[in-house]
Amino acid sequence: MGLILREKAEYLGTFRWLEVFLMETLARWVPTTPEMEVKVLMGRHIWDAAQHADALGKRTFELRAPLHYTLSPLTPYFELMKELAAVEDTPGRIQVIYDVLLPALTARYQEYLDGSDSLLDEPSYRVIHGILGDYARMRQENDALRKELKDMLVFDASRAEEWRRKEAEIGEIVPRGSGATLAVGAHA
Amino acid sequence: MSIAARRKTVQGIQLCADPAREACFRVAQSDSEMQVFEDSMSEAARRERLHRHMNNEMGALEIAAQCLVDFPDAPWDLRMQLARQASDESRHVAGLYRRLRQLGGRKGEFPIGNFEWAVTNMCDTLAARLAIQNRTFEAGQMDLLGALRKIWRSVGDETTVEVLEHILADEINHVRFANRWIRTMVQEDRRLLLKVASAVRFLAETNTALSAPSNGAPSDAAKKHTDLGINIEDRRHADFNEEEINEILRQAGMSTFVAAEGRG
Repeated sequence: MGLILREKAEYLGTFRWLEVFLMETLARWVPTTPEMEVKVLMGRHIWDAAQHADALGKRTFELRAPLHYTLSPLTPYFELMKELAAVEDTPGRIQVIYDVLLPALTARYQEYLDGSDSLLDEPSYRVIHGILGDYARMRQENDALRKELKDMLVFDASRAEEWRRKEAEIGEIVPRGSGATLAVGAHA
Repeated sequence: MSIAARRKTVQGIQLCADPAREACFRVAQSDSEMQVFEDSMSEAARRERLHRHMNNEMGALEIAAQCLVDFPDAPWDLRMQLARQASDESRHVAGLYRRLRQLGGRKGEFPIGNFEWAVTNMCDTLAARLAIQNRTFEAGQMDLLGALRKIWRSVGDETTVEVLEHILADEINHVRFANRWIRTMVQEDRRLLLKVASAVRFLAETNTALSAPSNGAPSDAAKKHTDLGINIEDRRHADFNEEEINEILRQAGMSTFVAAEGRG
């Protein structure tokens, strides 16, 4: 991939948008999800997403972008995120976060690492490695919750599979500027 | 429509409709529907205390989360504090639920109330919500927790005392960041003072209507709170200034403490 500096800031700005989206989606679902244990899980992970957004936003500043530079993804991905955020049932919401978004974002972050340089871009690597470590813990906590609530919640695996397929079909998600001019997100 | 925009009417007062709860919970709309015990530290009463507290923490989690949803343009550092608060309140729910189960309790064993959620989400500014939820309800909880530690210790339950100690330490941080941000926001926009004052008045009126006896005397909840005392030390930790603490003591009918504090 071989990203130039401006493109790195655009990637990290897009990741920041996605982490804020994750934080806000979890926050929206906490009061509207009935199951107490699920509220607790989501409530704890709001703080994880906020810390990820914070670290990414500080790193964008170091890459000559504004502090907390945030870039909404390209339209197909943006629309998919809107679709996922509209899910209303508890098993569906759990699947959206832990079976679809976290694995998908893990792959997207890995793609960034593959296109960057672990020495010259080490601060970004450290931020992303921290995020990926958190994602692994968040998914373990979700697994434990599902075991605890196995008699209460019924999951439709085919639905998660369909969402994963839609996500994987979208290739590029990061808007690109040109020359030294950073991209501006198309969506609020 | 955002859940915070939904309404319910209780005894003629319009409030925010309840957040989602599992079917096992019976949701009370006033103090009189909550369960009370003659012996306030009987085994069942202890479980009820934990159960009620657990639901209050769930409400605090939901309020912090809803602030993140309703105020996306708030300063990022304040949003970070709200996100942290959501995480803290989640841990409090989990810790109290664990203790409740250790004492043989279960979810839905007693009625619950969502008063804090119902009142706080009627405010349309973040400053007012912080003033009601963090600076009033959570600061009040600091007072209660300060005293409850002694009550649980008196019956030899050090495990619950430890849970409460950790919750209290977290609540101080929530009150402190609210105090600091309210000051900052009001300095930037003096009109917010009116919003905050109006919210505090709405809370007082609602509290009186939903929990006071008909003779106009202080409500049971308010009286119990006053009886337990004001947690002066932790209010200082939470960035209340001396003038504010003195005013709270006066309102609680503890003017002699004001004089004593002044002498100290």
